[in-house]
Amino acid sequence: MQETILNDLKMPYCPGCGHTVANKSMSKAIADMDVDPLDVIVVSDIGCTGLVDPLLTCHTIHGLHGRAVALAMGIRMGLEHPEKKIIALQGDGGATIGLQHLLEAARHNLDLTLVVQNNMVYGMTGGQTSGLSSTEFKEPERPESAVPGYDICALAHNAGAAYTARTFIGKDTSELWKEALSTSGFSLIEIVEMCPAYGLRKVQELHDTADYESVVTRNSRAVGMPHRATGRSLLDGLKPIERTCDAPLDGRLEIIVAGSAGEAIQSAGDLLSTAGITAGLSATKKGDYPITIGTGFSVAEVILSRDPIHYTGIDCPDIMIVISQDGLDKVQSRIGGHTLVIADEKLGTELGGSPGPLDPPDQSGPSNVVTGDFRKTGGPKGAALAAIAHWLQDNGFLPIEALIEAASRHKHGDKMKVIIDKAVAA
Amino acid sequence: MTADGERMVFLDGSRLIIEAMARAGVGAYIGYPITPVNWLFAGAKQRIPIALEAPDEITALQWSAGFSSSGVFPVTASAFPGFALMIESINMSFMMELPMVIILAQRLGPSTGSATTGGQGDLLLLRGCISGGYSIPVFCPSNLNDCWDMAAASVHTSVNLRTPVVLLTSKEMVMTNQNMNISSLREVQRAERHVFEGNGEYKTYGVNGNLAPPFLPLGNDLHQVRLNSSTHDMEGITQKNSPEALGNTERLKNKIEQRIDDYTFYDHDRAEDADTVILTYGISAEAAREAVGSLRSGGDSVSLLVMKTLLPVPPRIYELLDAYEHIVVVEENISGLLRELLFGNRQDGRVFGVNKIGNMITPQEIAEGVRQCRKPS
Repeated sequence: MQETILNDLKMPYCPGCGHTVANKSMSKAIADMDVDPLDVIVVSDIGCTGLVDPLLTCHTIHGLHGRAVALAMGIRMGLEHPEKKIIALQGDGGATIGLQHLLEAARHNLDLTLVVQNNMVYGMTGGQTSGLSSTEFKEPERPESAVPGYDICALAHNAGAAYTARTFIGKDTSELWKEALSTSGFSLIEIVEMCPAYGLRKVQELHDTADYESVVTRNSRAVGMPHRATGRSLLDGLKPIERTCDAPLDGRLEIIVAGSAGEAIQSAGDLLSTAGITAGLSATKKGDYPITIGTGFSVAEVILSRDPIHYTGIDCPDIMIVISQDGLDKVQSRIGGHTLVIADEKLGTELGGSPGPLDPPDQSGPSNVVTGDFRKTGGPKGAALAAIAHWLQDNGFLPIEALIEAASRHKHGDKMKVIIDKAVAA
Repeated sequence: MTADGERMVFLDGSRLIIEAMARAGVGAYIGYPITPVNWLFAGAKQRIPIALEAPDEITALQWSAGFSSSGVFPVTASAFPGFALMIESINMSFMMELPMVIILAQRLGPSTGSATTGGQGDLLLLRGCISGGYSIPVFCPSNLNDCWDMAAASVHTSVNLRTPVVLLTSKEMVMTNQNMNISSLREVQRAERHVFEGNGEYKTYGVNGNLAPPFLPLGNDLHQVRLNSSTHDMEGITQKNSPEALGNTERLKNKIEQRIDDYTFYDHDRAEDADTVILTYGISAEAAREAVGSLRSGGDSVSLLVMKTLLPVPPRIYELLDAYEHIVVVEENISGLLRELLFGNRQDGRVFGVNKIGNMITPQEIAEGVRQCRKPS
């Protein structure tokens, strides 16, 4: 005898409820297809449709309201057994909350079956209308409030579902279930039903009440499944930074590099940090830029230290390298009395003027300002690096060899080396 | 000049978290993009066997639950706005007893706040996110080494207790590059689920005297599995409030709390004769370490306690705090979330807060707090 996926317990539904008939059709379809109950997973929603969960002899998972399809998608993507049948059961309320999930399942065309038992009403909570109720379905208290329900079959079809069907509840819908369960990809059956507690009194009124007719549609598409990659270690690919020289720095040096998006500010910050590590120092670097990363300022905060660095914040930096107006606007307020400012010539020409873009908040002027035509030396993408090289050459916190060594690790190392040489020569 | 065996690299916390989780057995990363978890997502795409973009955070958690119930360990990551959407589904996974890790990278709130500014404002949200007040384990890395260790601990604890676990971090931790000798990283063992074996009777939530039930995936060929988000008995059948079902729900509380010693992590840097301890977690811990160094070099004897297991609050933390007259609680918020968690809404003069928002708390501000806490009020 064929096994069914329903046990002997009495159906928990009101007399005349379409859910009883729909669930029996599901069980009949499974039995007719000779599928073992342990090859079936039923994902049930909250609401009257989910009350079938205890009656099932297959695998069951009973989740949240509206999320059955999303949960079913996760199971399908996790299971390595394509032969297992996955059925999600929802009412019209759950399908309304989880409409995005339904469209997503259709878009991915994952191999699972969703059955929406649409009785056009929230039966458990007082007979409110749902997003799948029809214009003819009136709440007694608010008959004027009806708006057209979603045509979820059309939505699912347009989103890419392999199979969609709408039918009206009758004695047996098992043939449609079998069709859906044998289809590879996402299949949806909407069964238009009657809730005996609210609304209609005769099942014969369903056709006149519903906004949409029976329908069957298909898409011929590849069945979706996520790609499984081997994955490669995120550490093995990191090239160790060898210590090749010594830095005379004794203590902690806080540096801000500021410019505009697209000027390789973050790369310059990384390079300076790597140079510090090459010379035996500890280094940290964090970036700051607008959410729209392709425009506006770009700031790199770098700390170099003889000792391990714990606190990675910078208030007033020791060194500020500024190569564009965007960068200056962003960091100018952080110039302190001890800050050495290394600025591109175009910004620096206004130094000493009042008011000028490099006027610090205390009006006393930064203690040191160095300018250079770094844009000419390095071009727009190399100006920050040219300024760093110029500064290192001048003060010797780090040997310039450390910067050259750091550049040699970079994919554009040759170009960087040229910029460093030019900056040092200048 | 590099020391033998040293492997010095320049990297961020995101990379360490994802790599450690991959080694611990994470099979799927499901994310909805949000700053500041960008680098976690990028790392996962390279490292985790299945890495997917969900269309929203509710879907991310539902997919995660689906993966977990079929035997694949899932991880997701978000910030407060996305985490808020996940909460109902985290409750579902807690009730179904599905292991997974949610990485919550804190940023300045309330609401969408400031996406690229750090913060420590979500601790009490985590304390209260399970309806009924049940705890889920929450780990919090305080530096790069912890990113590795706590990521691995998150996966292992989640598997051992069959529960969602949160790894609480911050923008500053996952988006700052630092040098690190990665040769000193501990080996990460793969976390293996305790699987039901044999052909005897299987009840999905039958524990046989243990705290967490053995696992079988949905779709297995031997036994029916019944996972249930509603109040349920040991079989997984929905019950209103039967004694068996309520007992099962109480077990969810007990399994987390009774095993707390297995996953209590902290750093206690005790100074002899110290009457004051700085208590902190996450990104503020690094500033506190620097503050302790400078205070001690100035002759001030002060201790430091960094919590890495935040929830449920380990009893050991109170035992350690009992030794001090002054407790300076440092956290990047202005409400004092850790203070309230540990000491309630009526705190005595023993507890002093160092708090601010918008920027990391500095070592100087912490040192000043230590000085202030000892002044008679």
